[in-house]
Amino acid sequence: MDSFLIATGVAICLLLLLTLHRTIHGPTAIDRIMAVNVIGTKTTILLVIIGSIYHRVDMFVDIALAYALLNFIVTVAASRYFHHSKNLTSRGYGYRFKGGDD
Amino acid sequence: MDIVVILLTVAGLLFFFATTVGLLRFPDFYSRMHAAGKGDTLSSLLMLLALALYNFHEANLANLLVAIKILLIVVFIFMASPTATHAITDAAFESGVKPWTKEPEEKS
Amino acid sequence: MIWQLDLSILTLIVICAFATIMVKDLLSAAIIFGAYSFLMCLLWTEMGAVDVAFTEASVGAGVSTVLFIAAIYQTTRKVGVRKSGRLLTKAVALVATLITGLVLLIAEADFPGFANPFTPASLHLSPYYITQTLHDTNVPNIVTSVLADYRGFDTMFETAVIFTAGLAVIAILRRFKKEDRCDIPGPYVISEAHPDTIIRFIARQLVPFIQLFALYVVAHGHHSPGGGFQGGVILGASFILLAISFDFKMVLGIMSERLNILLGNIGVLLYAGIGFLCLLLGANFLDYSILSKVLPATDTIMARSHGMLGIEIGVAIAVMAIVISIYFNIVSRGKYDKGL
Repeated sequence: MDSFLIATGVAICLLLLLTLHRTIHGPTAIDRIMAVNVIGTKTTILLVIIGSIYHRVDMFVDIALAYALLNFIVTVAASRYFHHSKNLTSRGYGYRFKGGDD
Repeated sequence: MDIVVILLTVAGLLFFFATTVGLLRFPDFYSRMHAAGKGDTLSSLLMLLALALYNFHEANLANLLVAIKILLIVVFIFMASPTATHAITDAAFESGVKPWTKEPEEKS
Repeated sequence: MIWQLDLSILTLIVICAFATIMVKDLLSAAIIFGAYSFLMCLLWTEMGAVDVAFTEASVGAGVSTVLFIAAIYQTTRKVGVRKSGRLLTKAVALVATLITGLVLLIAEADFPGFANPFTPASLHLSPYYITQTLHDTNVPNIVTSVLADYRGFDTMFETAVIFTAGLAVIAILRRFKKEDRCDIPGPYVISEAHPDTIIRFIARQLVPFIQLFALYVVAHGHHSPGGGFQGGVILGASFILLAISFDFKMVLGIMSERLNILLGNIGVLLYAGIGFLCLLLGANFLDYSILSKVLPATDTIMARSHGMLGIEIGVAIAVMAIVISIYFNIVSRGKYDKGL
């Protein structure tokens, strides 16, 4: 059963590699937020799998719960940025001088 | 008991594979969001259920507490992940991400 | 130490690190850095260092990413494109990096092996902690006992450093007058965010449980990974969740600035106060065994366990207050009127 769990962990890591492709090549920043949400959830699963391989799950479950929490908070915060700021790409709404045009 | 754990884990892995393929191949942000939000949540739920059952192979109180804690993570992901999906999709709609439409056929 | 998982997670981490540097958009770089932090914590868990992993998860992957996003919201998202530097500068930088790396690698060859049981630390120090912790302090978690009891002086200064960081952010960013004293205009806002019913409902339902979980992490730090820092950061993150789903003013009504700074002070004072109490009772500073004179029905060993709990509570309160204070200052640019 241990080798099956290790194989599951490696399979999840390989699929996370494919998710990283969307993270890097996502055309807008919102694609990246979505992909990082997926990475965060899968890291929670990987934590419990590592705990099961070490036969000490009781230590790792608290960390997994904290992970799921913080993943949620980071995703909601990152999407609130777009509620206020409406820039999909970073084409320079940087320092806006007073009196400049749109 | 082991057979159930293996079946649930493989099912979770299959759904996650479908999620990843959807993330890579769908043409539009909103369809990718379907894949990421739904497939990710379901695969996480299945795999965590499998791990909760795996830890329950000896029926004593400590194992029961650990299994209940893992089920608590399941409940939390069930509540929080669709909310995060809604937050991202709402932000994308407010920012003006346009849905993908099929080009109309010009010929004939 | 599962080498298959080690290798795969390390590959992911290296790719994330490259992506963070190469992406030409600061917001995306901050988000990918959050993913890097998640995976780094996974690596530390796999090596067996669960307390470090917990702290990295809560601080690095959680609050740090939110603070980056808040800072990018107030400043710019564009990577400053300079005219290409001269080739000589780049060549000198490359040579300096290579020389530093080579020096570090040569020094690393003198270190003992990775899990060598015959290093001085493993021969004299670790066996003492491993065998004597439960006997001296009745706390099974060796990391907590080393952090809070055997090396409690260091942890007190760590808490003071966190407090100083909060003070520094207040000193730099906080503006008390009504008029703006700087020239940088506000962020480019097209419209205010509409109130979102789903996120508000879920946040309102989840925040009590998040805070309960944070208190559990603080109290259970003696028996499982956790402790004061992690619990305090999760408490601060719960207030940040309220601030980003509701209005900024609403959270200011719950946790005003005065109450926040007061809580930060109380946290550090609690830690130093317990140490001072031990001094007043006749023992060394932060020697908790003398607290058995004040606490009813404890012997000297349980008094150390209770003293550790007291300082963990102090650390949690201080860290929570400082995390909230830094977030408030960064996200509203010191003016405390509206935020993310």
